[in-house]
Amino acid sequence: MTKDKELEQLFLAQKPHFDDSAEFMQKLTKRLDAVEFVKQYQERTLRRYKMAMVAVFVVGIISGGISTWWLLSMPANEPLFNFNVQTGFLVWLAQNSRLLAASGLSLLMTLGICSVISNVLEIMDMRQSMEGKKGWLVM
Amino acid sequence: MNRETFISCVEREQEALRGFLLALCCGRKDDADDLAQDALVKAYLSCAGYQEKGKFRSWLFKIAYNTFLNHKASQQVTQSIDEARTLAGSSAADFCFEHQDLYLALGTLPPKERSAITLFYLNGHNIKEIATITDTSEDAVKKQLSRGRDKLKERLKL
Repeated sequence: MTKDKELEQLFLAQKPHFDDSAEFMQKLTKRLDAVEFVKQYQERTLRRYKMAMVAVFVVGIISGGISTWWLLSMPANEPLFNFNVQTGFLVWLAQNSRLLAASGLSLLMTLGICSVISNVLEIMDMRQSMEGKKGWLVM
Repeated sequence: MNRETFISCVEREQEALRGFLLALCCGRKDDADDLAQDALVKAYLSCAGYQEKGKFRSWLFKIAYNTFLNHKASQQVTQSIDEARTLAGSSAADFCFEHQDLYLALGTLPPKERSAITLFYLNGHNIKEIATITDTSEDAVKKQLSRGRDKLKERLKL
């Protein structure tokens, strides 16, 4: 497509010149400093989240291991707890105490793992958006 | 791209970018500079997404163009040519008088045609580059340029 000569001349003649480039760059540098400060703060927060996740994971593994070991180390023919009453439901609870405790522990560990995975994904998402890897065109 | 490289690239391109946004904002220098600052901050935050295959200028202009469109959409205000004329009369500092006629004529164009015309005539981009910056097809850019040119010539009585 060829350029219209008259329009081209008009645009060339009226090309703006800026004599405040230094001030503009100074203002930009100040804004970038502010952005940098916020970015560093976010990075610190992310690091703290990551450390907290690692700590939760380690504590979960240790406490889960100890609980499982405790459950398995109890004598198999003895219930975990006894209510010393003969009511039907409580007797059933006492008889199945080992199974119920194991199920409860498994449920707790599953929920914990799901929560940790969800938090890790959230941290990864935050890091990605902080690094500007997505959505820069729609900002 | 680190901060120093980014700043040195911006120093090279800032006049062209500000000129482009000034034309899109129909000569309102403060608005254009605010948009330029916003666009540059967004560009800085997106440095990681910049692949040095293309031109830095096209990449920067694409962000500026999107920033302008978002700003325009958020304003939801349409100014008539008369309103623009009144604005120009009341705030002389905001308006470059020697460019007044051109900017007023540009102001009557829809944003997409205005962008295409400005990129083509003011910044010297070719059709392919304009298509990349405005995220449209080359045919669409040609149509925008043709329509924009006719309207501008009519308004400017060229």
